[in-house]
Amino acid sequence: MRRLTLALIAASILLSGVLPAKSQSGGELHFVLRAEPKTFDPMLVDEEASETIRFLTGGVLIRVNRKTQALEPELAASWKVSQRGKKISFHLRDGLSFSDGTPFSAEDVAFTMRKLLDPNLHSPTGDSFRSSEGSVRVAAPSARDVIIEFPAPVAGLERLFDQVAIVSSRSPKKETAVLGPFTVAEYKSGAYVLLKRNPYYWKKDAHGQRLPYLDSIRLDIQQNRDLELLRFKRGEIQLINNLDASYFENLAKEEPAAVHDIGPSLDAEHMWFNQVPAAPIPDFKKKWFRSANFRLAVSEAISREDLCRVVFSGHARPAVGPVSPANLFWFNRSLQPHPHAPQEALRRLQQDGFRFDGHVLRDGEGHAVEFSIVTNAGNKSREQMAAMIQQDLEQIGIRLNIVTLDFPSLIERISRTFDYELCLLGFVNVDLDPNGQMNVWLSSSSNHQWNPEQKSPATPWEAEIDRLMQAQASTPDQNQRKRSFDQVQKIVWDQQPFIYLVNKNALAAISPALANTSPVVLRPQTFWNVESLYYSNQGRGVGQ
Amino acid sequence: MWHRILLRHLLALLLTALLGGLLGATLVRFAPGFGVDERELDTRLHEDSIQALRHSRSNERNLLRFYADYLAGAVHGNLGVSHSFARPVTDLFAERLPVTLRTVALGLAGGWVLGLLLALPVATLRGWSYEFFSSLACGAFLCLPSAVVAILFLYFGGPVALAVCTVVFPRIFRYARNLLLQTYALPHVLTARAKGLSGTRILLWHIFPAAAPQLLALAGVSVSMALGAAIPIEVICDSPGIGQLAWQAALSRDLPLLVNMTLFVTLVTLAANSASDLTSKALVKQAA
Repeated sequence: MRRLTLALIAASILLSGVLPAKSQSGGELHFVLRAEPKTFDPMLVDEEASETIRFLTGGVLIRVNRKTQALEPELAASWKVSQRGKKISFHLRDGLSFSDGTPFSAEDVAFTMRKLLDPNLHSPTGDSFRSSEGSVRVAAPSARDVIIEFPAPVAGLERLFDQVAIVSSRSPKKETAVLGPFTVAEYKSGAYVLLKRNPYYWKKDAHGQRLPYLDSIRLDIQQNRDLELLRFKRGEIQLINNLDASYFENLAKEEPAAVHDIGPSLDAEHMWFNQVPAAPIPDFKKKWFRSANFRLAVSEAISREDLCRVVFSGHARPAVGPVSPANLFWFNRSLQPHPHAPQEALRRLQQDGFRFDGHVLRDGEGHAVEFSIVTNAGNKSREQMAAMIQQDLEQIGIRLNIVTLDFPSLIERISRTFDYELCLLGFVNVDLDPNGQMNVWLSSSSNHQWNPEQKSPATPWEAEIDRLMQAQASTPDQNQRKRSFDQVQKIVWDQQPFIYLVNKNALAAISPALANTSPVVLRPQTFWNVESLYYSNQGRGVGQ
Repeated sequence: MWHRILLRHLLALLLTALLGGLLGATLVRFAPGFGVDERELDTRLHEDSIQALRHSRSNERNLLRFYADYLAGAVHGNLGVSHSFARPVTDLFAERLPVTLRTVALGLAGGWVLGLLLALPVATLRGWSYEFFSSLACGAFLCLPSAVVAILFLYFGGPVALAVCTVVFPRIFRYARNLLLQTYALPHVLTARAKGLSGTRILLWHIFPAAAPQLLALAGVSVSMALGAAIPIEVICDSPGIGQLAWQAALSRDLPLLVNMTLFVTLVTLAANSASDLTSKALVKQAA
């Protein structure tokens, strides 16, 4: 008994260090949305600003823990995947209500799923579930049970529910009736979105205090990154996600305690050669770009370490392939980034009949090797990367011209007219599961960027990638899926259809006034545990 | 007679605005990147959804048809739906227009007051030192592009309307100074001064009435000056007005929004110029 009492006292002392006392709750958190949210309908979310609001307001059945990357039950007390990934059954928590007081039931989940899976909605969240043609059956046999049956197995099925915010089937308030920690209280176009705490939110802390601790969140709509930094320094905002390396360094000098380098993110900077047969570029260039030796040589001529050091001030890692080392399960650990080896690059090129006279590289027909790289204008780091790649390629006699275009023009070139030679862009990875990249790897897909919408695979290795991606998608066995996707990563490493350059580090700034913060690599880096954030005594008043 | 002139102005205004709208639409329609959507690169989207996105703006490809449909809708109060904001243009205008109107109105008022306050002593005092330093200061402000003024206000944290005022006042000063100097040199003003009339009386009875037509013309031009300055200033200072909307619409080739923006800016500019033109004509006629 005495031991138990001592243990309880020790536990309460420990918890008191982590959990806020009642007086510490309250206050308003401020941070910035970098674009106008296009929608408040959680089913139609397709950009970052709306995604932020969905995360802060939406209640989901299953949540991916952003720190451990494991699945955790939220509105669903438990779930079971059966029939090799074709069927999922949920058992829901009891006694929950939407923010307007409407009771939550299985009918709401069924309503949400039926609406979301309507192909005519064209929702990215709904489309993630579409593994094959055929109708999905959704049933609510009881008030707390839901069964969803898909026409074919959906790989990584339960993870997809992390993006599915449940909407009410009965509330007259529609999408403003939510199950998440906050609810949209006010919106002024171009100015701000004000979120207030959901009085019916179901989670409580270890003291039994209802979460979230914060009273409200004000999201100022602000595109100007300089202004965002300035406002952080003035103490007007408390969080910055996805901080640029230059801003990170700037802030680190003034407020070292506020900046956080969380390590490599899931995103990659990469480039690819245009291999579209109908592209309006000379045939001899198409021949270069289709050669794996040529692509490998270009890859080896680039110093990724220098890119990390100079462009990202050391806040990046040389990239290996489509999966970042931050993706703990799916990253193929047997692969290493291609080393900077200009001599090896020249040797490869000589195998393909290229000649280097010390100044200019020429192909077997005497054409000087020269091409252009397109990237989006206004992205400072990409413009700097292009300039450094230009210098690296000059070492092996390749002349690279840099072309910057605004985003719509760039998309038109890479997806409609195919009037480009080499493109430098970033890949924003929001999904840990490789199924989220299906449309990139399938040769028939329009997002198979180096040669999209192929009627049949143009090369044997693309056919093999198609086969492996289909294989990993059709089995629920995670280890078998991992083996298939490891092979895909190896093929991409060997063939270099995408030349992966760097994985930028996830950089964030958090006001020291905010307590219980735990920035992570996965989005949303700084406020993934928003319900547990609170203002410490020392910082009280900053955002209040 | 007046009815005719007014009708002619209104007709010219309407035709110019319609032509301006069509020209604006033509520029957007044939701009590189028209009709593409960033969402096409979303790897989560099913092939059907990508195709649906690609065809979602096919009705805008035939420009004349689009413009005719747009005008038919506009007559009934339907200004179309913005692609980049996924909202009706009327809603966006209703939310953002008051912000810009306030900014422009305050900026203009401030610009005129400051410009005239600085210009009057030049004409009345006629001291070389004041003229030299005021001209130098205004010249320096005149050299600053609106974007630079906006950046300065961004860093030092001033109101957006004051930034518009900073862009407008040197232009008002320069023109008003020259005009006042010319007016003060008119024979009847010299006679009035020689007779010992007070400065205020000369200003109110002899200077302003004589300079009014030109000042009114300047007032018309200054509206488009302020509106033109408000666009980059709102973008840089993140002020949620029409300027910010125009910038985002241009970046995303948002045809419905850009056509409305073009029509709005054309109408405001022409209406301001027509109003000042008609008033100054009326004043000249009255004086004659």
